[in-house]
Amino acid sequence: MEAMTSLPLMTLMQLLFDTLLGFALLWLGWRALASPDLFQAIVLFIAFGLLMAIVWVRLDAPDVALAEAAIGAGLTGALLLTTLARLEAKNRSKSALEKKHKVWLMTENVKLKTASFLWLMVILMLLVSGLVYAVLTLQEQTFELQMLVSKNLESSGVSNPVTAVLLNFRGYDTLLEMSVLLLALLGVWSFGGIPKPHESLPGPVLNMLSRLLIPLLIIVAGYFLWVGSDAPGGAFQGGSVLGAAGVLLLLVGWRLCIRFVGLPLRIILVFGLGVFVSAAVVLIFLGRQFMEYPPSVAGALILLIEAAATLSIGITLAALFLVGRPEFRRHK
Amino acid sequence: MNTLYLYTIVGVGLFTLGLYALLIHSDLLRKILAINIMGSGVFLILVALAARTQGAVPDPVPHAMVITGIVVAVSATALALALVIRVRTKVGHANLPEQSLE
Amino acid sequence: MLSFLLPQRVKLLGLLIAAGVVAAVAALGWQVAELGAQRYAIGGWGAPLGIDLYADGLSLLMLMVNAVVCLGVSVYSTGYFNRAYFRRSRAIYFWPLWMFLWAALNALFLSSDIFNLYVTLELLGLSAVALVALAGGADALTSAMRYLLINLLGSLFYLLGVALLYHRFGSLDITILSQHIEPSPAVWVAMGLMTSGLLLKTALFPMHFWLPAAHASAPAPVSALLSALVVKASFYIFLRLWLEIFPVDSSVFGELLGVLGAIAIFWGGVQALRQTRLKMLIAYSTVAQLGYLFLAFPMASYFAWKGALFILLSHALAKTAMFMAAGNILHFGGHDRIQDFDHVVQYQPLTSAAFALAGISIMGLPPSGGFIGKWLLLEAAINSGQWWLVIIIIMGGLLAAAYIFKVIGYAFTQSRKSHQTRRVPIRMEWTALILAIAAILLGLIAPWPLAIMDIGLPFSGEAAG
Repeated sequence: MEAMTSLPLMTLMQLLFDTLLGFALLWLGWRALASPDLFQAIVLFIAFGLLMAIVWVRLDAPDVALAEAAIGAGLTGALLLTTLARLEAKNRSKSALEKKHKVWLMTENVKLKTASFLWLMVILMLLVSGLVYAVLTLQEQTFELQMLVSKNLESSGVSNPVTAVLLNFRGYDTLLEMSVLLLALLGVWSFGGIPKPHESLPGPVLNMLSRLLIPLLIIVAGYFLWVGSDAPGGAFQGGSVLGAAGVLLLLVGWRLCIRFVGLPLRIILVFGLGVFVSAAVVLIFLGRQFMEYPPSVAGALILLIEAAATLSIGITLAALFLVGRPEFRRHK
Repeated sequence: MNTLYLYTIVGVGLFTLGLYALLIHSDLLRKILAINIMGSGVFLILVALAARTQGAVPDPVPHAMVITGIVVAVSATALALALVIRVRTKVGHANLPEQSLE
Repeated sequence: MLSFLLPQRVKLLGLLIAAGVVAAVAALGWQVAELGAQRYAIGGWGAPLGIDLYADGLSLLMLMVNAVVCLGVSVYSTGYFNRAYFRRSRAIYFWPLWMFLWAALNALFLSSDIFNLYVTLELLGLSAVALVALAGGADALTSAMRYLLINLLGSLFYLLGVALLYHRFGSLDITILSQHIEPSPAVWVAMGLMTSGLLLKTALFPMHFWLPAAHASAPAPVSALLSALVVKASFYIFLRLWLEIFPVDSSVFGELLGVLGAIAIFWGGVQALRQTRLKMLIAYSTVAQLGYLFLAFPMASYFAWKGALFILLSHALAKTAMFMAAGNILHFGGHDRIQDFDHVVQYQPLTSAAFALAGISIMGLPPSGGFIGKWLLLEAAINSGQWWLVIIIIMGGLLAAAYIFKVIGYAFTQSRKSHQTRRVPIRMEWTALILAIAAILLGLIAPWPLAIMDIGLPFSGEAAG
């Protein structure tokens, strides 16, 4: 009986919350794109990412929320900021010729002709109405696929359905996705060395903080990895937290010993993918399909693959933060 | 109809907003921001629709898809940002020259 | 057939993998030819839950041409990236990036899962962008940047379409979707989104603006790949979706695609004729040739599809040969300004022969592969009484002839300026020539690929129509 009376109120509250959150999201997105100052825009973008994470929680997607907070807001934000810092540093060092371009960088709008602007608006309006119409005509339904996931969950070796889908049912996607990540790093490295690492000594606060935080982050990464099989978490979340630890390390000026930059670093980077592929291939020789994990050992296998993946993802993300290849210095 | 559709519409809004910004800005960093926001819009639509059946556990497949999508997005962003820096060093400014559609 | 990438960045390893993949494709080819279309469930889960790989005649042909072109490019690159002035620090990245690109292509042609296709598309796009940027100049970097943004934009449109389809039908597998599909607003919007995203990547007029710069400023083997295969990859996905998933009774839409294709043929042809740089000319020629692929949509008949596919195959071979030839000429004389060609025929007879032979296929003269493709298209156009298409196909051929003879003409003459010249490794010349010969041979052995197309034929149902 109590539920009957409290239900409308709850729904109303919920509706209010949803509306507020939705509008806040749109507003932040718009501000991030329209703010005249790039630095401000990036900070707004990070805030936008954090808000997204809250939305994911609201939508019962805690795994996504973790990934968004760590990767979407955290690492993307860090990458954007460090890029901006590099661009600005160059801006300052260059003189009169660059002044004009600096104006370009800061004030961005290309002046569109009114006619083409109107056209653009019409097209965008069509897009919005089409999409909204399409979305609203979708009925509420539960699909066979979703039942299949829950039915096969037991034989997948893990109890978190998202992890099961990621690492087992649709593991091939994840394999390719890790390739994308590695590829991005390769691409970044192929552009050449780090453009003038302008070292600034970290302040004492950052130094202190990082000493506390880095071990903590590493432990958190391990925790995510471990609980990933039956609670929100997993290789990507763990990996990105590890990546964050790496970024922090790089921020306080810590650099890998030259000895490790060459082959050992590359081996760690491909380690995750390597374990993933070899596990899949070995199974072929054991008379199974590519990536068909036997249910009895699936849990252990997935944990192994995830552990390797976490390490590689973390290091790859941290390496991406450098925005360039660490210089190899060969003493021969 | 339930309130989760609201998020879907917000997703549509973000997608369009990002597209608009992508088209009108010439600064590369902003274009990359815009692409990221478009992506968030798509992810939001995916997940919000996954939760649209009331009372049921949300469908985990779109969640996995979005996690994949987020990682792909950060990879692409990293590559794009590194490229921006290179373009900046070589060309002297970080925006694309006007492109004629003809 | 996935990427077995290890940190060794050795040419030998690259070639070994290349040979291995070719062997694997050959084995798969035998299997498909003997046993019909193959389906492989990764992880043993089966379609709705897991991801299936699927190989029929269409994907097999794509894989085969992919293997031939990629093998050619691998051999060519051993020469190209050996050059003294190509900095080693850059060149070592060519091989891993290249292997990723190849793996992405293979994965793409085999996948039957629309989300998996999205991931392969991204893999393909990012590796292609990194390869374009390898050239390192201001032009290359700017066009790589634009190419990247275009790619990401196209992928997002595609992904949004995937999202709608998934939430309408609860599956990501193409075959399952094709069984359940029925017209509804969500399907129409998804179709529009995926089509625009993919066509943007395929560079159909008027969305071709990014292509010439990106294709022309990349290193020669990369240009060859981009023109020959990468644009075809998104076309392949589009074709699959169109044939298997989207409601077939969308004839207005097909007409529109046909008209755009026709404009592309003209526009690309005229622009190619106007170019003064060889690589730009070849890149615009790609825009025109892509137009032919879309002529099949308004006809949507058995012959039309086969014709378009045949053009796709022969163009892949011929265009690779052309870009390689251009790379040789560029390397030899240090420039690719068409007017300043200096006795190219005399100094590089093999390269010139490669260019001419590839040109024959592009123009569509018998007995080349391009001829068969155009012939099939013509036949389909006459059968369906669409005379405007007949005129366009013939005009397109004439335009192609004009721009190719323009190049060949200058290749014979002497230039007023003299240039420093450099030796070109002989294998770079031979690879170009062999691929050009393959494009011609494709016309002579036409019945064979045409028979392969029939295996698990996605368009057999429309043979009557």
